[in-house]
Amino acid sequence: MMNKLVRLCLLLTTTAASAITAAQENANRHTTNAILFGIGKSNLYDTYLSPFAYTGPHAAFLYETLRPTRWADGKVSVQTVFDGFGAYAASPAGNNREIGGMLNYSAGWHYNFNTACGLRIATGGSVHAGGGATYNLRNGNNPVQANARAYIAASAMAIYPLAIRNTQLHLRYQLTVPLAGAMFSPRYGQSYYEMSLGNYDHNVCFIYPGNAPSMQHFITVDLPIRKRTVRLGYRCDIFQSRVNGIDAHTWNHTFFIGYVRHLRIFSAKEAQKQPFIM
Amino acid sequence: MQRIPHCLSYLLVVLLTALTNGACVREDNPVDTPTNNFETLWRIMDEKYCFFSYKAETYGLDWNEVYGRYRPRISDNMSDSQLFEVLCDMLGELRDGHVNLYSAADVGRYWSWYEDYPDNFNHEIQSSYLGTDYRIASGLKYKILDDNTGYIYYESFSSAIGEGNLDEVMDYLSLCHGLIIDVRGNGGGTLTYANTLAARFTNERLLAGYIMHKTGTGHNDFSTPEPEYIDPSNGIRWQKKAVVLTNRACYSSTNTFVRNMKVCPNVTIMGDRTGGGSGMPFSSELPNGWSIRFSACPMLDADMNHIEFGIEPDISVALLDVDIAKGKDTLIEEARHFLKQ
Repeated sequence: MMNKLVRLCLLLTTTAASAITAAQENANRHTTNAILFGIGKSNLYDTYLSPFAYTGPHAAFLYETLRPTRWADGKVSVQTVFDGFGAYAASPAGNNREIGGMLNYSAGWHYNFNTACGLRIATGGSVHAGGGATYNLRNGNNPVQANARAYIAASAMAIYPLAIRNTQLHLRYQLTVPLAGAMFSPRYGQSYYEMSLGNYDHNVCFIYPGNAPSMQHFITVDLPIRKRTVRLGYRCDIFQSRVNGIDAHTWNHTFFIGYVRHLRIFSAKEAQKQPFIM
Repeated sequence: MQRIPHCLSYLLVVLLTALTNGACVREDNPVDTPTNNFETLWRIMDEKYCFFSYKAETYGLDWNEVYGRYRPRISDNMSDSQLFEVLCDMLGELRDGHVNLYSAADVGRYWSWYEDYPDNFNHEIQSSYLGTDYRIASGLKYKILDDNTGYIYYESFSSAIGEGNLDEVMDYLSLCHGLIIDVRGNGGGTLTYANTLAARFTNERLLAGYIMHKTGTGHNDFSTPEPEYIDPSNGIRWQKKAVVLTNRACYSSTNTFVRNMKVCPNVTIMGDRTGGGSGMPFSSELPNGWSIRFSACPMLDADMNHIEFGIEPDISVALLDVDIAKGKDTLIEEARHFLKQ
């Protein structure tokens, strides 16, 4: 089932990315700030710990800010995301567990342009850094795998305002594909004890789509409810790697709910004109 | 300016087209059958066990030949207990105390490394030396024997010892003319304690041995051996003669401790050969959920020799029946005599 979902996401991605077309208009200058909480399902696989994938529920959070910059007449926006998850997964036989978790931070810059139909397209790149660990409750001298990585990614976003009766919704789809970076990995049979002695053996690995074919899909719907904006979201995180003889993947499917704050950023000069700002 | 988004779009399409063409990193997911459990176990060991080449030289182990001999004993109609028995028999070919198969009902093991040899240890007699007024510092039991010999009994490296414990022990025993460290029957535990304790017996950095790890699935895919050093402790260090008492039940971390102590000045290893167990064990599992433990990272002595099958003492001493009859521990008595010389 998980594999089918992954394949479906990959196909959706191809279709969406192909539809990107160029257009330019001034970007919306208002800033959104969202805090989301989610639950979902994790699929954790790391041959350093086990030859099998562990599956189970996870809880997640996501803090996102999206705002325009002054570059390119305001057409470039900046997006920062801080997110994390914690999973409790079971072995296929059901008699062992893994606890996994990860914290990530990313900052991305997108060039925005609008199409005639109201669809806003944003394409750009982002830098990501993250760290975490997966702990196998039964293993002896290989109980844990540390995860640390940093990479740059290509990113594309489509935002569409949809009016249903008197309700204005905002739909967004975002795709992020890591392009190049580095990640930590022990060597095939290297113990953390040996690493603690200071023995380095290609433990920082260069990653690219050839050895770390990964991607992230993020779909959100912003719903105005009375004076507030509620955001519903789904995110599919696929991070995979094949380095140092160790195969690993983390497939997360998360459904989010949270709220959005709409802010307006003033420059220092503008702020000085506002009597209510100290 | 429009060219940048266009380029990124094309790049994404190319990347995603490549990704959708079978780029999933995923596991083999064998069905839980006796045949698949056997095949998975054999393959895990084939790819990750670290002593195939050494044991081929030592006693002619041929893992492919083992497959050919045990595979016909597997059928999908066999019970779990029958499968467990065959798998344990196959693992027994490795002659490795660090290789275990764990099911809910039993633990598969190879314990011949000490079961086939004399104990050279009598717990009742050894306890008579400690008496009832001994001191306990975390995992260490210690006292001053009546001839002013210090005696430390460390029965498991799973019992923690800290620098504070060792400072207190060394301080208490500092007026003794010599020290006995008895690790007989110590089957190992945490490796770092082997280094923590040995660091009290040197005033300079010493090369104790080497450690390697596998870099791939081949039987000879190993990293360059990296040296392991003992750095002198910043706490109280022992400056007089010391004897380490060993027997065949000294295994794993205890084997490493003996390796470390062997290079320390003023330290003599006395007793029987240690049991060995120089491969740091990793864990894995089978489709039916049984857990497997196996040696993954070989540790060598300072001369780059394998110590998987134990370390010879500097002075061989066996527990004599005549001494047992007198309630005497031959090894402790020999050590006391040696320290007085």
